[in-house]
Amino acid sequence: MNFFGITIGTTTLLIIGLGFPLVIRGERHLGYLWWPYMLGIGFISIFASLFIVANWLSVVIGVLGSTFVWGSTELKEQAVRTELGWFPFNGNKIKPPFENIIKKWRAPHL
Amino acid sequence: MNWIGLVAALTAFFSIWAGHVAVRKIEAASRTIWVPTVIAIVLGLIAEYCSLVTNYLPLKTALGIIGITLLWDALEFTRQQKRIIKGHAPSNPNNPRHAKILAEHKTATTLDLLKRDPIGHVVSADEAIQLITDNWH
Repeated sequence: MNFFGITIGTTTLLIIGLGFPLVIRGERHLGYLWWPYMLGIGFISIFASLFIVANWLSVVIGVLGSTFVWGSTELKEQAVRTELGWFPFNGNKIKPPFENIIKKWRAPHL
Repeated sequence: MNWIGLVAALTAFFSIWAGHVAVRKIEAASRTIWVPTVIAIVLGLIAEYCSLVTNYLPLKTALGIIGITLLWDALEFTRQQKRIIKGHAPSNPNNPRHAKILAEHKTATTLDLLKRDPIGHVVSADEAIQLITDNWH
């Protein structure tokens, strides 16, 4: 009997908690069209977790990755929330590389 | 290769996804929010207990994450009801609790104002409705 699972669960909650400001600030300053980059960071992080020997660190990096993957699916809806006035709207966002290609893709949403 | 990070990542992603969808659907259908809240708390505590007593690390990790997700979902039922009151999530007029909210709060709506793509500028209340109405046809 040990508390590894409960500690990991609580740590996951805290890491996912970081996802809220990540999505809100990320969308405000960069815009939702950065979603493929956020998704990519998430997948790279989860892949990197496979090569980390320490269990707790592997879990932290894995969960951090899934937070980025989840965040990428929230960006579009967050952009609509700012347009509705539920969050501050910023008209001068930093455009992502390959913006025109990304615009043709359907942003993920769950 | 250490698979424990992948186990945690997949568990976190899918349990949060499932919880996200379940909270919205159950809150919309349930006449009370305290019943689903209590059920989620009990299930969350059971999952945490199982995580505590199992020795198989992947299962211990997954149950630990699922349990905390369920405990958070318990809280989300109240947060979702607040979204319904503010009109940030669509209310279900066939649910007597939501019908009461619709009658008492002018902000509440049956429309899902988020069900569209961003257009790149702030919209008025009328335009917000127009945009989702256009999407439906």
